[in-house]
Amino acid sequence: MQNNAFFHFLSLLLFKQKNKHIGAIFISVIIIFLLSCVLFISSSLQKSLQATLQNQPDFTISRMQAGRAVNTPIEWIEKIVQIDGVSAVTPRVYGRYFFAPNENSFLIVGVDFFDEQSNRSLQELMEKTDLKSFFATPSMLVGEGVQKFMIAHYYKDEFSFKLPNGSFKKVAIAQQLPNSTNLIANDMIVMPLDLAKEIFALEEGVITDIALNVPNDAEWDNIVAKLHLLFYDVQVIDKREIFKAYKSLYNYKGGLFLILYLITITTFMLILYQRYSMVYSAEKKEIGILRAIGWSIQDILKLKFYETLVIVISSFILGVVLAYIFVFILDAPLLQEIFLGGSNLENRVSFVPTLEFGILSSIFLFFALPFFASVLIPVWKIAVTPPKEAML
Amino acid sequence: MIEIENINKIFNENSSEPFEALKDITLHIAKNEAIILSGVSGSGKSTLLSLIASLDKPSSGKIVVDGELISKLPDLHASAYRAKSIGFIFQHFNLLEALSVEENIIAPLIPSRLDMPTIKKQAQESMQRAGIAHKASQTIRELSGGEKQRCAIARALVTNPKLIICDEPTANLDKANSLKFIEILSTLKALGKTIIVATHDPIFDTLPFESRVIKMEDGRIVNIKDR
Repeated sequence: MQNNAFFHFLSLLLFKQKNKHIGAIFISVIIIFLLSCVLFISSSLQKSLQATLQNQPDFTISRMQAGRAVNTPIEWIEKIVQIDGVSAVTPRVYGRYFFAPNENSFLIVGVDFFDEQSNRSLQELMEKTDLKSFFATPSMLVGEGVQKFMIAHYYKDEFSFKLPNGSFKKVAIAQQLPNSTNLIANDMIVMPLDLAKEIFALEEGVITDIALNVPNDAEWDNIVAKLHLLFYDVQVIDKREIFKAYKSLYNYKGGLFLILYLITITTFMLILYQRYSMVYSAEKKEIGILRAIGWSIQDILKLKFYETLVIVISSFILGVVLAYIFVFILDAPLLQEIFLGGSNLENRVSFVPTLEFGILSSIFLFFALPFFASVLIPVWKIAVTPPKEAML
Repeated sequence: MIEIENINKIFNENSSEPFEALKDITLHIAKNEAIILSGVSGSGKSTLLSLIASLDKPSSGKIVVDGELISKLPDLHASAYRAKSIGFIFQHFNLLEALSVEENIIAPLIPSRLDMPTIKKQAQESMQRAGIAHKASQTIRELSGGEKQRCAIARALVTNPKLIICDEPTANLDKANSLKFIEILSTLKALGKTIIVATHDPIFDTLPFESRVIKMEDGRIVNIKDR
């Protein structure tokens, strides 16, 4: 078959019967768009999470008694620094502060700003902060969600924490934490260690946990074992576990969408299959006519394959481009709520653009294979029946 | 040219109610002969045309066209035979409604190895022969019954086939268009084509060219008459 004549005829059929294909393309674009959005969001969240956790301490340890977290003695630090391979051992005060009226809560993290910083993003942020005023008055760094919440409650420059003894402690809002950390720091407040201790009314000599780094990854398991040997009542959390917890949360939410996708695509493919299989369908007659005027089964399958390929590729490109714009330029309104919802403060993240070949090929295969099967199987069935029957 | 030997066609062969559409048909058709298959609906005329055109396969017997056994051809060869040797004109025209006249006429040539300019040239000649060239760019939906018939004729002629098969060609035409159709058949006969027409239209009783009328009844040939 001379290709230029074949493709000329293919384009004629596609163009002249465009109304027949518009519905299929429209539904295909929606399906690809949804699938692409879900895969783009979960992949981007995982990337952002990896980048955010990169700047977090490798381990945080705290004391556990009878399965309950209790305050951690500060003298543990002296013992931990003796372990070879451990660096940047930092005391932390960590806990939720509840804003009573709406039952929203902030995550307060008190760190020793004068100690070696374990949190590299915080170090970067502090370079831009006026340290003199930050330490002259009680001050804090707040996540974007916290800042928005406080502004909404008329706490623009400072916030008064209610202490356990009933008095109030005014703390100035020095700066907002970078947006890029919103995934885990949206509801976070970072403040000097002593200030956090005062808000939580911690006694002298105790903190809530200790952050530390182990630069050599290969030593991580050994260090955990050593910590357990050193303290019988220690709980060690490494950042891989945090990553896994977030990852499975997003995978779970993405999985729900994939189930919806499977239901939608199955329905759509059944409709397509039905369209071609119908006893008196226009497609059936068209195939019968072409067979009667000398087209072979092979010619028919070739024509329908290319016709489907054009529909699949144009829907794929359109769906992926729309999803890219929706997720990475418009920050996926509505879908973002579903993925990030559940936190107590409104969270907004900017999705880091990711276009991985693996994701694109998965989208294409998840969509194209069932599409081709739903069209070509009934087409083949019609093509092998006598043309006279197909033309009825 | 065409040798039909002991052809039987049974529909629903393996079911409890098989239907014998053709019973032991033997017929020889010479080159450039015009055959009129007559008989009432259900007598087996269209089934016989389908078997000659290789649109269906006989249950038993053989059909040889120009020395080639076409009754047992695999699909690829049967399609090539249809494309090369047969010009089929259907009762309901069977045109692709969304396409224009010219686009319908080029359709049989698409699987050939011809390039687009040659295909267009052949289509133009065919349209002129069928008297539909002036409607080349109009879609089938915009045509009258007679114009659709001429488009179907042009499509049947575009591959320059040796054999023209017509199944109830005038059933959907008025008398004027039916006469025009017979005029075209006459020209085709003069060009050396072999023509087989299945019809029960009395207009075919007075043809301006020599023909053989084969009367069919209940799947059998009951009478052959030269005219």
